[in-house]
Amino acid sequence: MDVRATDANQSQYLSFFIDGEEYAIGILQVKEIIRYETVTKVPTTPRWIRGVLNLRGLVVPVVDLAAKFGLRETPVTGQTCVVIVETDLDGERTLMGVVADAVSQVLDFRPEDIGEPPPFGTRIRVDYIVGMGKVGKKFVHILDIDGVLSAAELMAVTSATGEPVAEVSGAAPGPAAQEAS
Amino acid sequence: MDLDRDVLLQTFLEETQENLAQMEQALVALEASPSDDEAIRAVFRGAHTIKGNAATLGFRAVAEFAHAFEDVLARVRERALAPSTALTSLLLRALDVLREAVPLAVEGAEALPPASEAVREALARAREGALDEGRVAPAGEEARSSPDEHAPLGGGEGRVLEGRTLRVDVDRLDRMLRLAGEIAISRGRLRELLDRDAAARDALETHREADRLFLDLQEQIMEARLVPLGPVFRRHQRTVRDVGLAVGKQVALVVEGDEVEVDMAVVEHLRDPLTHMIRNAIDHGIEAPEARARLGKDPCGRITLRARRDSGSIVMEVEDDGAGLDLERIREVGAARGFDTARMRDADLRALIFASGFSTAATVTDLSGRGVGMEVVRRNVDLLRGTIAVESRPGQGTTISVRVPLTLAIIDGFQVQIGGGGGQTYVIPLDTVVECMELQPSSGERADDHGVIDVRGEAVPFLRLGGVFGLGAGDGEPRARENVVVVKHEDRLAGIAVDALLGQSQTVIKPLSKMFRGLPGVAGSTILGNGRVALILDVPALLREATGRRSAGAGPGPGEAAP
Repeated sequence: MDVRATDANQSQYLSFFIDGEEYAIGILQVKEIIRYETVTKVPTTPRWIRGVLNLRGLVVPVVDLAAKFGLRETPVTGQTCVVIVETDLDGERTLMGVVADAVSQVLDFRPEDIGEPPPFGTRIRVDYIVGMGKVGKKFVHILDIDGVLSAAELMAVTSATGEPVAEVSGAAPGPAAQEAS
Repeated sequence: MDLDRDVLLQTFLEETQENLAQMEQALVALEASPSDDEAIRAVFRGAHTIKGNAATLGFRAVAEFAHAFEDVLARVRERALAPSTALTSLLLRALDVLREAVPLAVEGAEALPPASEAVREALARAREGALDEGRVAPAGEEARSSPDEHAPLGGGEGRVLEGRTLRVDVDRLDRMLRLAGEIAISRGRLRELLDRDAAARDALETHREADRLFLDLQEQIMEARLVPLGPVFRRHQRTVRDVGLAVGKQVALVVEGDEVEVDMAVVEHLRDPLTHMIRNAIDHGIEAPEARARLGKDPCGRITLRARRDSGSIVMEVEDDGAGLDLERIREVGAARGFDTARMRDADLRALIFASGFSTAATVTDLSGRGVGMEVVRRNVDLLRGTIAVESRPGQGTTISVRVPLTLAIIDGFQVQIGGGGGQTYVIPLDTVVECMELQPSSGERADDHGVIDVRGEAVPFLRLGGVFGLGAGDGEPRARENVVVVKHEDRLAGIAVDALLGQSQTVIKPLSKMFRGLPGVAGSTILGNGRVALILDVPALLREATGRRSAGAGPGPGEAAP
């Protein structure tokens, strides 16, 4: 992962698949990608907290974004990997793992290639998306990973009862309406 | 050149903090015994050093302020001024100004903080012997919190010039310890591998030898992190003085065992609890001077801070010679808050003072009454995997003993497993484990999260870890036989039922992410020999859970308890 943005406008993104859809994160936030191996469960946390793993001696939490977005839990296959990202947790730089079905590619976007997120119609909460990058005929959801993994979202973990918390986004309609997008 | 100046500034900062800490102690001592020439000389020396250094480095505002401070001290030294309470308060305030101003100056500020102006004027008045007692605010609340934050760990004791002593960056020690932890993990892994291979007997032998050496090295590193408690204890001279003054009580602080050494991370965690326990003792324990005189006691109350080592822990005591805990009042307040105090043992009643929001104070003051302070004590001590005991003798005083481990980074752990082959491993701190026993099938259905077992005739509550943690299904075949690990915390026994006992091993504690802080039943994590992460159980929390369930489940209902 020795790719660096070439100018001040961050222009490189790592994309990966979550439940069939392609998402991307600014590459400067991605520290590394590792194969999904046994993750230790952390009891009494919501379903979207997969647990913790050992990253060369550091204990790193692993989050299943699919489950967090209210989609199905990510199944573990040979392709499953964990994207280690650096995020700001309550003012502290923290490493966090994000489970992905597969890593896709490194994308170059000029600012004009990135469109505004649509006001509705996305499968996940609109405020988790900072923009839509166009790749050929497809769109890649560019995630606000700091927002998704923000303190407010994550700190709620310890007060959760352990019940799966599926999120219902205000704007996004149910799966049936997804066909339209 | 800039680099040199940076080093210079850093040294100036550190020396000033040490100087200020020593001056503070000397000032408080001087107030207690105004004829203490050595004390006044110590303050004077400190002020002079700060003035000189500040002038050399071009911090004119600081130097001028230190000069004004020195002027007043000179009058005290000449005995033209007496170190009265008001004057001492003013001088302490001036120290606070310096403490704030020096880091600001180092960062480039040319002026002093705004609060300094009033203090400087008061210093000028004091010099003329015209100190207006009423107009100088006592070194009060907002000032008091600052000393502890700014003072370096280990305080003035770190710099012993005559001895062969070296200043070491705390980060460097942290890194060494982390490294030692990493090696401990791979050591464990290596031993596991060698153990399995019969052909590797020679290698195992060599490994064992290397292991011994490593353990030695690890011990040395941990010892390098030990700092004496003395400076931490003595810093509370100021707390005692200020709080006593604020509530109109005379209190003296006695320090015993201040040479006892403890890991600096432990010291960090003990700082706040100490302050709260001392405040509590002054506000609730020590009686007003008139009341004490009526009771035939010395009008000046005494608080003793005491530390001693006891095997792998240190025991720290805060003892006051006040009125003792009013158990009846605690019973009343506790009952009003929904505790079943009628059935509580005295020890449990005393423990109530650590409950969240618990306060027997009739009114909330600046100092106490909100019931927060003692909860902080409990929380920090839990964090350190320590225990608290309270002793109280009516009319004679209260002693709070806090027992904490000497070091935080490495503990002896006992590994247990929930579920079969693919199950989860958990680590129980070995010092809480009393014994292990097989769970007889008659002790309750597997489906229950909890039950009661017979430990040598005593009925002891236990809980099933798998059930409490919501594991159970999907973690492999349930074992035919369960085991119970009997744990003890603050005189209470409880059992933790698990599927398998894996044995003991040295456990390097890894912090868990901030997001898991406050997770019930989990104190931290560690990395096992196979590279996986295992969670370390928070025994006190689980125990509260177990005993809480028992009294909720098996005790008579509130209806029966009513007359």
